[in-house]
Amino acid sequence: MSNKFIGQSIKRVEDKRFITGKGRYTDDIKLPGMLHAHFVRSPYAHARVVSIDTAEALAIPGVVAVYTGDDVAAINGVPCGWQVNFRNGETMREPKHPMLIATGDTAKHAGDPVAVVIAETKEIAIDAAEAVLVEWDELPAIASPADALKDGAPLVHSQFPDNKAFDWSFGNPVEEVDAAIEASAHVTTLEFVNQRVVPNAMEPRAYIGHYDAVADKYTLYTSTQNPHLIRLLMCAFVLGIPEHRVRVVGPDVGGGFGSKIYHYTEEALVTWASKQLELPVKWTSDRSEAFLLDAHGRDHVTKAEMGFDADGNIMGLRIKTIANMGAYLSTFAPAVPTYLHGTLLQGLYTTPKINIDMTCVFTHTVAVDAYRGAGRPEATYLLERIIELAAHEMGKDPAQLRFQNFIPPFDGVTQPGYQTQVALQYDSGNYAPVLQKGLDLLGYDDFRQAQKQAANSNKLLGVGFSTYVEACGIAPSAVVGALGARAGLYESAQVRVQPTGKVSVFTGSHSHGQGHETTFVQVVADKLGIAMEDVELVHGDSDTVAFGMGTYGSRSLAVGGSAIMKSIDKVLEKGAKIAAHKLECAEGDLEYGEGKWTVKGTDKSIGFGDVALTAYVPHVYPAGLEPGLDFSSFYDPANFTYPFGCHIAVVEVDKETGKVDLKRMIAVDDVGNIINPMIVEGQIHGGLAQGIGQALFEGTIYDENAQLTNGSYMDYVMPRADDLPMFETANQITPCPHNPLGVKGAGEAGAIGSTPAVVNAVLDALWSGGHNDVKDILMPLTSERVWRAMNN
Amino acid sequence: MQLTGSHVLQAPVSRIWTLLMDTDMLARVVPGITRLEQVSENQYNAIADIKIGPVSGSFSGSLSLGDIRENEGYTLHVKQNSKIGNADAVVKISLKAIDDAQTELSFDGDARLSGLLARTGNRVISGVANTLTKQFFNNVEEELKNSHL
Repeated sequence: MSNKFIGQSIKRVEDKRFITGKGRYTDDIKLPGMLHAHFVRSPYAHARVVSIDTAEALAIPGVVAVYTGDDVAAINGVPCGWQVNFRNGETMREPKHPMLIATGDTAKHAGDPVAVVIAETKEIAIDAAEAVLVEWDELPAIASPADALKDGAPLVHSQFPDNKAFDWSFGNPVEEVDAAIEASAHVTTLEFVNQRVVPNAMEPRAYIGHYDAVADKYTLYTSTQNPHLIRLLMCAFVLGIPEHRVRVVGPDVGGGFGSKIYHYTEEALVTWASKQLELPVKWTSDRSEAFLLDAHGRDHVTKAEMGFDADGNIMGLRIKTIANMGAYLSTFAPAVPTYLHGTLLQGLYTTPKINIDMTCVFTHTVAVDAYRGAGRPEATYLLERIIELAAHEMGKDPAQLRFQNFIPPFDGVTQPGYQTQVALQYDSGNYAPVLQKGLDLLGYDDFRQAQKQAANSNKLLGVGFSTYVEACGIAPSAVVGALGARAGLYESAQVRVQPTGKVSVFTGSHSHGQGHETTFVQVVADKLGIAMEDVELVHGDSDTVAFGMGTYGSRSLAVGGSAIMKSIDKVLEKGAKIAAHKLECAEGDLEYGEGKWTVKGTDKSIGFGDVALTAYVPHVYPAGLEPGLDFSSFYDPANFTYPFGCHIAVVEVDKETGKVDLKRMIAVDDVGNIINPMIVEGQIHGGLAQGIGQALFEGTIYDENAQLTNGSYMDYVMPRADDLPMFETANQITPCPHNPLGVKGAGEAGAIGSTPAVVNAVLDALWSGGHNDVKDILMPLTSERVWRAMNN
Repeated sequence: MQLTGSHVLQAPVSRIWTLLMDTDMLARVVPGITRLEQVSENQYNAIADIKIGPVSGSFSGSLSLGDIRENEGYTLHVKQNSKIGNADAVVKISLKAIDDAQTELSFDGDARLSGLLARTGNRVISGVANTLTKQFFNNVEEELKNSHL
């Protein structure tokens, strides 16, 4: 039997239960006596609660309680997890985000809850919620972040007279960047919008609060990416209940894409209500609520200028961006446009001078938070759009312009990491070969020939490039702490070897679709030389897993996997002591492999199972050694990891209708070492679909009253299978030099590189048809927008 | 949401005007209106049931007439609340005599929507509005045939 599992495309062990309907999600959990909550929400984006009358609702049979904002007014709001102060030192403005809006206060986005009905069934709760009479005083509202900064704009929080949450600048001093751009032979200017998108996790959010009056203990079941983080935030900041009295369970979770990092008000509310009623209280979002209330992504308005010398070398990059925070600051919102975006604006290029000027504003919209890539897609979109436009303006080949400006290769071991102008030090990179590989897959020369011929037909052909570098393996605690994070971003793992040699692995990296139950088990079984069936992965329950920071920022394997590796090392180290005692040799004479310790050069050996049994039945045992074989570890990464890659899109554009047809999507990604190639490819596929979705289909539409007008699957366009070509993927492997597995993270790459590639391809098609003055088309690139771009 | 429409009716302008100023007649021709109660001059409480395709709901609220110019038109202000969202519409209704026997009735206005009504989007709502518009003109034509006014 081979025990080499690392690098094998092993089918996901969790899929058996998922595809046979045996997954257990929060909404599947039914507890005795469980009550159901439904919220009364503001129909307006901005309105004062004049009065609330709950009498009629309370009289409906089956209604157990109705709570309003007045009942929870004394309780804290949900906190923000990251502080970014104004550049002049003023503290970040952090409005209270209450669980329910109290009488006299204002709802600050459509759907802001004002009351909650708790009833014996969900249906009764829904009916009774309609019987809660709320008198509203509608006020002017604003959804556009740029308009929110204008004089006279409606204020989201009356105490903040300019709607600013904070402003921020980063990189080289702006005077140096101004001088670099001033001295440039060519300056490309691009003004664009990175539109707001809805994360659309397949499983809507669901929570059950369960207060056990006998044990005086709370349990929260929650569809989250980070159960321990929710426990910390809810206990310490919102409800003020002792952490050891609270268990948070994240059972099977059907996707998050960042939207389930956020500690939502409903989580705290069902927990609080359960205490009041001494019965479990469940709330499950419907899809309409998910559109309205799950933290959205992106929403930047940007002006970027890139200067080049006469040879096409980048001289400087100057950026002004307005980022929409929504009405309240979500858990990670301040970090997304700043330290997860500004720090990535070096890209893969040797740009010597970079400055970013960021203004983060409140609007009457739901909070923005991390969305697959969180800041890095916005940075990549900016860089890859502007360099492609620059190549067009300067009459240069877009691939060659990139090759010319790439950072030279560095492995981070024999050569130092690359120090950027925007604080980060890249760990290892080798950029030119991924672009070259992409060009080879594309057949670049042949493509340009075909494009020339197509220019005379009804369908224009275009190719778009995008090369990216991102920061994953989030994150070294000391670094993020210095940048305003209110938490450390390490990970914990426990490897418990059972007396029979079976292994339970407890990880703080929560799986919400990533396949941890397969990948992590592959690592453990491989390193211990035992069968995968003999390893169990436990995650998502704060009563069984000691601690965890959760799953986001492509961190699970790079950080959580490294914590597991530390515990495995401890198991093998102690196991060697026991083995040496049993084999009557020195530890140094032993080597471990194939699930056993062998005395070097002999056939004397002892198996992993025998050592495990000895550890728990220590009759013949080293003097002074503790029994047991069970180790916990915390791993705090030394640096972020920096995956990179090249995405290439080929599109056909109908001259008469503007319809875009995506013909090819090539992705060459370097995510470091790969444990399970099939899972990595699946992650890339999913990310590509989301990135293409943003380019061609998705985007919120708010009306002039800040009402979301496309909050359903009939109105909000998601990419479908027949919109996508067969993806052409390839990998290059540049190991991460600073973690034990050499892995970098693959969860977000697809969504980071693909969006600008698709938009660049459409512009390239238009340019090939003589529409040389088109600099930008607003995403999503609908037929109408593309047609208008071709017809002024 | 923009609300516009026009239709040529086979009646002199004075007859149309009389019909449009009659409360009972208004309650009959405005699609979905089930009850119209006068609270003061040109002020009404209105109850409406709208059920077309995916949109159905019971609305209640106010209806008022302003800027009344005899034989020329008036401005209709409708505020309606429902479980599926609220609507606030201001519609300018105009009459224009084509000849002694024909009159063009047109309207032009804007409706502000909130809640589920807003979220399900103009896709559904504008279709509904077009249907309601057709119903309105059909109803007026029926009234012209049958009414003694």
